[in-house]
Amino acid sequence: MAERVDVLIAGTGFGGSIAAFRLAEAYRAAGADPRAIVCLERGERFKHTDFRQAMHADHLSRVYRLVQGQGAQMVTATGVGGGSNLYLAASLRAPTETFERRDRRPGDGPERRMWPDAISRGSLDPYYARAETGLRIARPGWDQVSKSGGVWAAALHAAGHTCDRVPLAISPQRCVDAKWCHTGCVFGAKNTLPTNYLGAAEALGVQVRPGHEVQSVKPSSARPWRYLVTVKTAGGTVEIECKVCILATGAMNDAPILLRSQRDLPSLSEHVGRHLGCNGDHIAAVELNPGKVRELLGLPGYAEFHKGKPITTMSYDFWVGRRGPRYDGTRFNLQEIFLSSLTSFLYDDGREPAGEPSFWGLQKKDAIAHWANRIELLAMVEDTHDGTFLAPSPTGGGAVSPSGGPIEVGTFSYAMSDQSIAVREAANAAMKRIAERRGLGRFMALTETRGVYAAHPLGGCRMAASKDLGVTDDRGAVFDHEGLYCFGSAIIPTSLGVNPSLTIAAVAERAADGLVASMGDLGLPAPAAAHRPQTPREEVGERVVPSWSPPRRLKRLRRRDRLRRRRARRRAHHRRHRRAA
Amino acid sequence: MHPALADITRRQFVARTIASGLAVAAAGGLRAAPAARAAEPSLADGTLQAFADTMIPGSPATITDLGLPIHPRAILGVDGRPGAVEADSLAAGRHPKIGFAALEPAFLADLEARALPLGGPFLELDWDRRVQACLAGLDFGNPARTLWEAAAAIPFVAFCAAAVAPAQRADRASGYRVMGLPGEAPNGYKRASYRRKLARSRTTTGNLP
Repeated sequence: MAERVDVLIAGTGFGGSIAAFRLAEAYRAAGADPRAIVCLERGERFKHTDFRQAMHADHLSRVYRLVQGQGAQMVTATGVGGGSNLYLAASLRAPTETFERRDRRPGDGPERRMWPDAISRGSLDPYYARAETGLRIARPGWDQVSKSGGVWAAALHAAGHTCDRVPLAISPQRCVDAKWCHTGCVFGAKNTLPTNYLGAAEALGVQVRPGHEVQSVKPSSARPWRYLVTVKTAGGTVEIECKVCILATGAMNDAPILLRSQRDLPSLSEHVGRHLGCNGDHIAAVELNPGKVRELLGLPGYAEFHKGKPITTMSYDFWVGRRGPRYDGTRFNLQEIFLSSLTSFLYDDGREPAGEPSFWGLQKKDAIAHWANRIELLAMVEDTHDGTFLAPSPTGGGAVSPSGGPIEVGTFSYAMSDQSIAVREAANAAMKRIAERRGLGRFMALTETRGVYAAHPLGGCRMAASKDLGVTDDRGAVFDHEGLYCFGSAIIPTSLGVNPSLTIAAVAERAADGLVASMGDLGLPAPAAAHRPQTPREEVGERVVPSWSPPRRLKRLRRRDRLRRRRARRRAHHRRHRRAA
Repeated sequence: MHPALADITRRQFVARTIASGLAVAAAGGLRAAPAARAAEPSLADGTLQAFADTMIPGSPATITDLGLPIHPRAILGVDGRPGAVEADSLAAGRHPKIGFAALEPAFLADLEARALPLGGPFLELDWDRRVQACLAGLDFGNPARTLWEAAAAIPFVAFCAAAVAPAQRADRASGYRVMGLPGEAPNGYKRASYRRKLARSRTTTGNLP
């Protein structure tokens, strides 16, 4: 007989962890035991001390998946905590225009707002605020901006642009600027989900089971259990029956699970597996001329790409001022980023004569040898969601890993629309103009622009106003399937213009509110009406303490910056007061 | 060009090819990858090393970071800094989690087929001819380009990511040393910021409204 639980949550990323915590506190508030909530995760459980500052093939195999489909390569994470273990912690609210977008891929339904009417920046703002508190997000001061981010800021300034500091889910007290976030922070400085939402959910009693991969879902005939979920484990396949099933395995997995379940869930929307996106990710690099950095930017030098935090600055100048639907599909934001040392492979050499060999050979070697003087840029463009899952892989998510290595073969195709190509070309032109102004540096483009290389897969089970346009409603409830939900990146219907984790978290917070409100109807213990969501406790655990502490000067500067910020706030307050008077 | 290849990018070729290789390896269709070889490099090893030296050229060396031997003709020395051969490109290609070993025979066959008309085995060619052979192999018109893309990825995995390096430190991974990347940073870094305002901000919170 199958094991029976109240709630089964597949996946422990942002969607799954937030659902787990909100349900657990509601259970507690109702006097019930949250052990009836079970989170399944296909990957391993890592303490932060288990991570490695290493791109070694063995470590990457444990934490990363590079899913290769036809036309795109998607980088995803695996392990308890999902993408939060490896993300670069940039935590931004998507701009108002994102939610009002009406552009879409040719053939994608009638003219309409792409997000459901209930979701706008205004309606999400309270949930953004809640997620920011839960994830402990703060904007770095200029004294915490990496040199690579500083060079980008100065280059933008020299070219007449503005540059903003990027709010981060990184503890300024614990971070030691090692810039190894991309393989997991060994210092416990990154505010990953196991340190907040998921850790707090477990502390409340939620069961988290690593090494469990959901395969398919079918209806249960034994009420009050609604769904029978098939799960692959190291010991074989097991079945779990649940009243509520939440799929939160990410954009690369939710849709394949539902596609595999379609025969048993025939009322699913025909949009399952369609509209897979990449958040408009488009990367490039700039090799800076050290002399020009001094001469044009007035900086003492650079050659320290390896130091600091991976993301600290970005420009909104190619977004702001383009309000209204006529600009939809043309906006983008430019962010300084450190992806990894391996992405060197992706760029051309930026050297004359242009042409072959562009990504290998003597000139490429020269470009790599100047790596320390490089910055990488991530343009997040308003593209369309151009991917489709052709079929589910035989087992697991949407990909097959024949050897257990980090590279998987995905069963999806990705053919960029004209809009997706044009907006990337516009971003390339903007980056090149800033990078090469007065000889500051060489612009190094992705060597091949017909495909997508992305770390932010979205969609595949997009939310929509109705079943004929999408898979779930605005709260993640799968149309026509009571008790079946998709939380997380799979329901996001458009690219966002910013790194997606905070929006995924805010949408999940909103969806969790809806789920908690309907717990009684779903046969779950319902909390009293006065129940209010709390902030998850911080659960860092034993952390690695480096052998040096921030220098006094830095502390002094931080104190000075805090005072400055306080004074600025006071001045702004007085200005508002005077204006009101 | 084969029509099926028209819409597939170079990176996709690389990963798909590696993945295909993994599939074949998993099926036990081809020989298992040897972990390391203490003996003198074979002709095939030397040819793969010569190919790696064409992708990321380096200065002459006799052993790799892992202490494995380098074929005496593999590195032409067109660059004065360590290259992909010294960074253990050969061992990276044969790492079971990377899985290129399964594709090796087919790749070598195509490589030599392109080298012979240029004057002899790839290992015996001079720099210009090696480049010529690789340009032809990596041309979109080459039906075996998939193999070449996978092969081209390996030197970068070894050099830029130290994927098989004995330690992730510049003193043990020659690729990191050339790049100016110290590698692991167990104590983090001091002076990681310019510590001053460098541009005018557009927002007060970091978020657009």
